[in-house]
Amino acid sequence: MESITVEATKSSPFILIDPAGHLIQIKGESYPENAAKFYGPVLSSINEYFKSSESSEVTVEIHLSYFNSSSSKVLFNLFESVDIAVSDGKDVVINWCYHPENETVFEAGEEFSDEFSSLRFNFVERS
Amino acid sequence: MIQFNVHEFYVDLNQKGIIFCFSGPISQNVIEGIGGTLRQKMEIEDTDLNTSQKVFSIFVEQMQNIVNYSADRLMPEDLREGEIRIGVLIVGKEDGHFYVLCGNKISHQTSETIRPQLEILSKMDKDQMKQLYRERRKMSVHTDEKGAGLGFIDMARKATSPIEFDFCPVDSRFVFFTIKAII
Repeated sequence: MESITVEATKSSPFILIDPAGHLIQIKGESYPENAAKFYGPVLSSINEYFKSSESSEVTVEIHLSYFNSSSSKVLFNLFESVDIAVSDGKDVVINWCYHPENETVFEAGEEFSDEFSSLRFNFVERS
Repeated sequence: MIQFNVHEFYVDLNQKGIIFCFSGPISQNVIEGIGGTLRQKMEIEDTDLNTSQKVFSIFVEQMQNIVNYSADRLMPEDLREGEIRIGVLIVGKEDGHFYVLCGNKISHQTSETIRPQLEILSKMDKDQMKQLYRERRKMSVHTDEKGAGLGFIDMARKATSPIEFDFCPVDSRFVFFTIKAII
């Protein structure tokens, strides 16, 4: 699978799916007008990547400074995909990056890690 | 002769502690523009990052509700993006707290759907809201819908007091819906 890059806009994040580097990255802000439509193709590519990837460790890096409630639904769907990949034997780690003063983002990450207790979440401070 | 006394309006807004006031067509571009300026203003005034994040977040949820659900629309009905709909936004400060207030026309049918949701939310504590948010996020599968139906719960969780709302009948078709969240 080729690597995929989506450039950031004011209300949507930079996205990278890099099969060679075993890395999925979502970075920036996320409040597009239609989150389901914006992320639909991205989630399909991520699912395709998980299906085709070898079992080496994959890093999913989420570094969002703000995301709206419909993006939160999308992240939920993403972690469901990761959950399926993990139960298929894939080794996936989620790096949840947050600004040290940004409690909202940190707490949202904690809630996801609570809810997806079988997934490996690392909490990474980034200013 | 200008009929509308803009200076009086300006003084009135200032006296009421209103920081931002907008009435008219709202699109994603307007949300990004006003939202950016609002953040800058709060940053210049050294507003604590958590407060400014919450104000911005509630602002986005309310404005996107207008773009998604206002009954006052300029664009054809089957549009999935590039929507423009009419609404009012007010951001202000009272008793040291920011608030975000939005108003727009909705159908009677919509008001019957959202009124009970808001009434239930106003009686919940933060833990119950968290539970509801999680359940709703897990259940919602409407991938074609623009929103995830989580907006009101998200606002209520970030507000410091219960969300205030009002439904004012306009005519046989419409109700004017107002929502206010204090941060």
